Amino acid sequence: MLLDIIIDGLIKGSVYALLAIGFSLVLGVARIINIAHTALYMTAAYLIYMGTKLMGLPAPVAMLASIVLTVILGLLIYNFFIRPIQEHEAAVLIATIAVAMMIQEVFLMTFGGHYLGVSPLVEGYATIMGVKVTYQHLLALGLALVILVGVRLFLLKTRLGLAIRSTAQDREVANLMGMNVTRVAMGTMGVSVGLAAITGAIVVPLVTVEPTMWMHPLIMMLAIVVLGGLGSIEGSFVGAYILGFAESLVVFLLPMGAFLKDSVALSIMILVLLIRPDGLFGVSFEEER
Amino acid sequence: MKTLKLFGLVFAALVLSFALCLPAGAAAPIKIGVLGPMSFTQGEGHWNGASMAADEINKAGGIKVGKEMRPIELVKVDTNEFLSIPDATNAAELAVRRHKVDFLVGGFRTEAVLVMQDIAMDAKKVFIGCGAAHPALCTKVTKDYDRYKYWFRLTPINSKFLGKVDFILLGTVAHIMKKTLGIKKIKVAVVAEKAAWADPIVNISKKLLPAKMGMEVVGVWRPSPVAKDCTAELSAIQRAGAHIVFTTFSSSVGLTFAKQMGELKVPAAAVGINVESQKSGFWGATGGKGEYAETINTYARVEITPKTIPFYDKYVKLYKQAPNYTAGTYDALYILKEAVERVGTVDSDKVVSALEKTDYIDTAGRVVFDKSHDVTWGPNYVTSIGTQWQDGEMKCVWPYHWQKVFYKGTVPYKLAPWIIDYWKNKK
Amino acid sequence: MGLVSAYFRRGWTILRSEVLVLPSRLAVLLFIIALMAVPLFTQDYYILRILILTCIFAIFAASWDLLSGFTGQMNFGHALFFGVAAYVTALLNLDLGFPPYLSIPLGAVGGVLAGLVVGIPCLRLRGSYLALTTLAFPIILTGLVFAMPDITGGELGLSGLSRLTGSRVMDYYLCSSLVVILGFAMWKITDSKTGIILHAIREDEVAVRSSGINTIRYKLLAFCMSGFFAGIAGGLYAHFMRLAGPSTLEVSLSFQVIIWSVFGGMVSIYGPIAGVFILNPLMEVLRVALGNFPSLPEIRMFIFAGLVLVTLLFMPEGLIPWVRDKLENECPRCKLRNVFIRQRCRVCDTSLS
Repeated sequence: MLLDIIIDGLIKGSVYALLAIGFSLVLGVARIINIAHTALYMTAAYLIYMGTKLMGLPAPVAMLASIVLTVILGLLIYNFFIRPIQEHEAAVLIATIAVAMMIQEVFLMTFGGHYLGVSPLVEGYATIMGVKVTYQHLLALGLALVILVGVRLFLLKTRLGLAIRSTAQDREVANLMGMNVTRVAMGTMGVSVGLAAITGAIVVPLVTVEPTMWMHPLIMMLAIVVLGGLGSIEGSFVGAYILGFAESLVVFLLPMGAFLKDSVALSIMILVLLIRPDGLFGVSFEEER
Repeated sequence: MKTLKLFGLVFAALVLSFALCLPAGAAAPIKIGVLGPMSFTQGEGHWNGASMAADEINKAGGIKVGKEMRPIELVKVDTNEFLSIPDATNAAELAVRRHKVDFLVGGFRTEAVLVMQDIAMDAKKVFIGCGAAHPALCTKVTKDYDRYKYWFRLTPINSKFLGKVDFILLGTVAHIMKKTLGIKKIKVAVVAEKAAWADPIVNISKKLLPAKMGMEVVGVWRPSPVAKDCTAELSAIQRAGAHIVFTTFSSSVGLTFAKQMGELKVPAAAVGINVESQKSGFWGATGGKGEYAETINTYARVEITPKTIPFYDKYVKLYKQAPNYTAGTYDALYILKEAVERVGTVDSDKVVSALEKTDYIDTAGRVVFDKSHDVTWGPNYVTSIGTQWQDGEMKCVWPYHWQKVFYKGTVPYKLAPWIIDYWKNKK
Repeated sequence: MGLVSAYFRRGWTILRSEVLVLPSRLAVLLFIIALMAVPLFTQDYYILRILILTCIFAIFAASWDLLSGFTGQMNFGHALFFGVAAYVTALLNLDLGFPPYLSIPLGAVGGVLAGLVVGIPCLRLRGSYLALTTLAFPIILTGLVFAMPDITGGELGLSGLSRLTGSRVMDYYLCSSLVVILGFAMWKITDSKTGIILHAIREDEVAVRSSGINTIRYKLLAFCMSGFFAGIAGGLYAHFMRLAGPSTLEVSLSFQVIIWSVFGGMVSIYGPIAGVFILNPLMEVLRVALGNFPSLPEIRMFIFAGLVLVTLLFMPEGLIPWVRDKLENECPRCKLRNVFIRQRCRVCDTSLS
C-alpha cells in the first residue's frame, strides 16, 4: 500500500510539475497569469494527433513539429494580444482566457467533442516492487527531473537566463540598465510555451485528447503554483509532488471518496496559504507592499 | 449621442434578427425538433438517427395525417448542454416558441433535460427522450400526470433496469470465470463514478453480491466522472486481488479507466456499464487497449428484431460510425409516425393517448410504454444487450440464451488471455 | 394639486439639470425605459427568457465588480456565491416550502455566509494569490455536492422549484426591476463613504490601514455585500430555471462573469451590467443569424471570445468607460463631468479645453 502510494504519487506529481514549471516561469518574469498555458498544451496534443494519426508521420517528427508550431503560436499570441495591453492586469487575464476559449472552440469545430487517443512512445509496463507502471509514465517522471535541472541550468548559466532572473527581480531597474525587457519577456514566453508543448508531447499518450482537456490541468496547475509560491520554480516542483501525493493518498485510503481527490488537493492548497500567505517558496514582488 | 446609437443599434439588430426567423408560410410539414449537443458523439447520434428516419419517411411520401400526406421537417436544436445549461434551455425555447415544432426528441445530460422537459410541458409538446436514463424524469409523469404526460422515454432503459441487466451480465461473466479458471469464490471490485444515478447500483451490489450471488466484494471505488487518471485505483484493485471489476461509468472516466486497465494488463474482467465503450471511437481512443471491455448497450449488429441489421448497416454506411443509444431518435420518429397516423392528427393530447397504446417493434425490441411513460423492459420487450470489444469489433455477447432470448449473431464472451494466464499460474 | 405640480416641477428640474445634461445618464434613463417597455411590444417566451437570464446575469456581474473591481479583491470563483445561493434557495423552497419572496432573500443570506467563509481565509492573501485561491472554493464545493447526493441531488441537482411568479411577463418585470434597483443600490454603495474606503483599499491598502481604518472589516464587508447580490442572482436563477445543479458552480461560469465585467468596464457597476446586456443577447442573435451553421455553439463562442479580445486591444479599460470618455470630459477644476460639446464647465464655468 505504502509503495503504491509513493510510486503513484511520484508519477502524478511529475506530470503536474511539468505543467507548472512553464506557467510559473512566465508568471515570475512577465507577471502574466497565462490561462491559455494549458490550452497551448492541448494544442500540442492535437497537433501530435493530427501528425501521427491523420498524416501518418513518425511520432518523433510529429512531436518536434508540434512543439515548434505551438511555440510559434504562443509567441504570436503574446505579441498581438498580450503585449499591447500588458499594463492592464485585468485585461491581460481576460485576454488569456479569451485565447484559451478560442483555442477550445477551434478544436471543437474541427474535431468535435470526440475522445481521441495517441499511442505511447514506448508500449508496455514495468513492475516496480509489485506495482505496475507503464513506461510512458516512467518517461514522464524522468523527463520532469531532466527539465527541472535543465531549466535551472538555463536560468543560472546562460545570458538569457540571467536576463530573465534580473527582470523577474526588478523590471524597472532591468529596463534602466539597458535591457530590452520586452524581448526578455518574449524569450520567457517562448520557453514557457515550449515547456507546455513538451509536456503535451509526453503526457498526451497518458490522457484522452478532447477539447476540454485543458480545464482540469489548468486548475491543478494554478493550485500548485499558488501552493509553491508564485514565480518560484522550486516551489512549483515541490507543490506538484505535494498535490500528487495528496491525490493518491485519497484514492488509497478513502476508495469510496476517490472523487474527492481534487477537492482535497485544493483544500490542502488553502490550508498551506493560511499558514504561509506567500506560498511555500514565495517571492514577494516589489510592487506588492 | 454615440451611446444612444449603440444601444439603438443593438436593439435594432435584436428586433431584425427575431423578425427574420419568424415562421414563414403555412406549416404544411410536421416539424420535429431534435435536441442534442451536436458537436459531441451523443448529439451526432440524435441528429443522424432522426435525419435517417426523416429521409426514409419523406421518400415514402411522409406521414399520413387524416387524409393528407405531410412530410417531416427536422429542426436541429444544438443544445450545447455539456458546456452550458442556459444555452440548452434557450435553444429548446427557441425551437418551441419560434420554430413552433410539433414534437421534440433527444436530450442527454439529465440536468439539462429536466429543464428542457419543463419547457416542453409548458408548451404542451410531446417530448420523446432519447438519452437520459434517470428514473426521476418519468416518475414526474405518475406524480403530476396532467402536466407531464407529454414526456416519454424511449432509450435507454431506465437506470433501475440498467442495474438489473448489469447484475445479470456480472453473474454471466462470473459463471464463465468459475468454469474456465476453476475459481471457487469470485472477488469483485466495484468501481462506479461518483454520480447519483450510480449510487443505487453500488448500494445494491454491496448487499446482493455476497448474499445472493455468492461473490465477495473486495472494495468500492468512486472516482470522479471526469477523472483523468485511474492508475491509483487500478493498483489498489490489483492489490485487492479482484477477479472482476464491476464498472458503472457514463462519462469520460470510463474511457480512461478502460484504457489504463488494458495498458497495465490488469488481471480482472471489466463488466458493467461503460457508456464510452458503446461508441465506435472507443477503439481508436484507447489505442486498442480497451479490448475485452464489456458493457450494456442498445445497438449492435445482431438480429434483435428484423429491423436491427438493416438499420445498423445503413447507419454505418451513411455516418461511418456505429449507432449508440442516442440514435434511438430513429425509432422515436417511426413511433411518432405510427401514433400520429393512428389518431389522424398532430394534436398533442391525442398523440399522447395514441402513444400510450403504442405496441411497436422497432430496431431495439418491442416498444410498449408503461404507466410512467417509460419504455418497458423484459424478455419479449426491449431487453437491451451486452457487448464486448473483440479484435477491434463491438460484438454482442448477451442475451446468450437468457430466458429463452437469443439474438442471431450473438457470440460467446471472451476472457482476456492475460487474465487466464495470471489466474492459472497463480494456482 | 399645488403640491403635486411642485413635486413635478422639482422632478423636471432634476431631470433637466442632472440627467439630460450628460449622455451617460440619459443613456441609463433610456435603457431603463426600454427595459420596462419590452413586454408592451412582445410577450414572446423566447425573447423574455433571454432577457430574464440577461437581467439575472447582469446582477451577478455587477456584484463581481463590487468586490473585484472596487475593492480590488480579484475573485476567480464568483460562481461560489451564485451556486451556494441557488442551492440554499432550492432547499428552502423544496424542503420547507418557502415561497420565492422568502427563499431568495434567505438564499442570498447563504451567499453572504459563503462570502464570509471565503473572505476570512482570503484576508491575508493578496493579488494573484487571492485570485487563484478563490478559484478553488467552487471546485471544493462541487466535490461536497457530489458527496452528499441525498441533500444536493448529486449531478441531477435539485429540480422542481416553484415558479418565480405566475407568468413569464411577471417574471420579466421582477427581474428587470431588480436589475435596476439592485444596480442602483450597488452604485450608491460605491459612491458612499464605505465605497470610497473600499476604493482606497484597492489603490493602497497599507495607506488606508495607517489612516486608522480597519481594512479587515471593510474587506469582509465587501465579500459579504458581493455575496449578497450574487446570491440574489443565484436565487432568481434557481427559481426561474426551476433547477439548482452543479452547473451553477462551474469554472466556466466564474470565467464568464469576469469576461462580461471586464468587457463592459470594471470599477463602474454599470459597465458589467452593460457588458451582460450587450454580450448575452448578442449570443442569441448569433444563434438565430447563424442558424444553419454546422457547429453553431462553437462558432458563437469563437466570435464571442474574439470580440472580447479585439475590444480589449483597443479599449483595455472596457467598452463603457471608453465610450464615456469619448462623450464626456472631466472639468479640471471641480471634477464634474460635462458633455463633450461644451466649451465651459456647466457648474464652475472653467474652460474645458
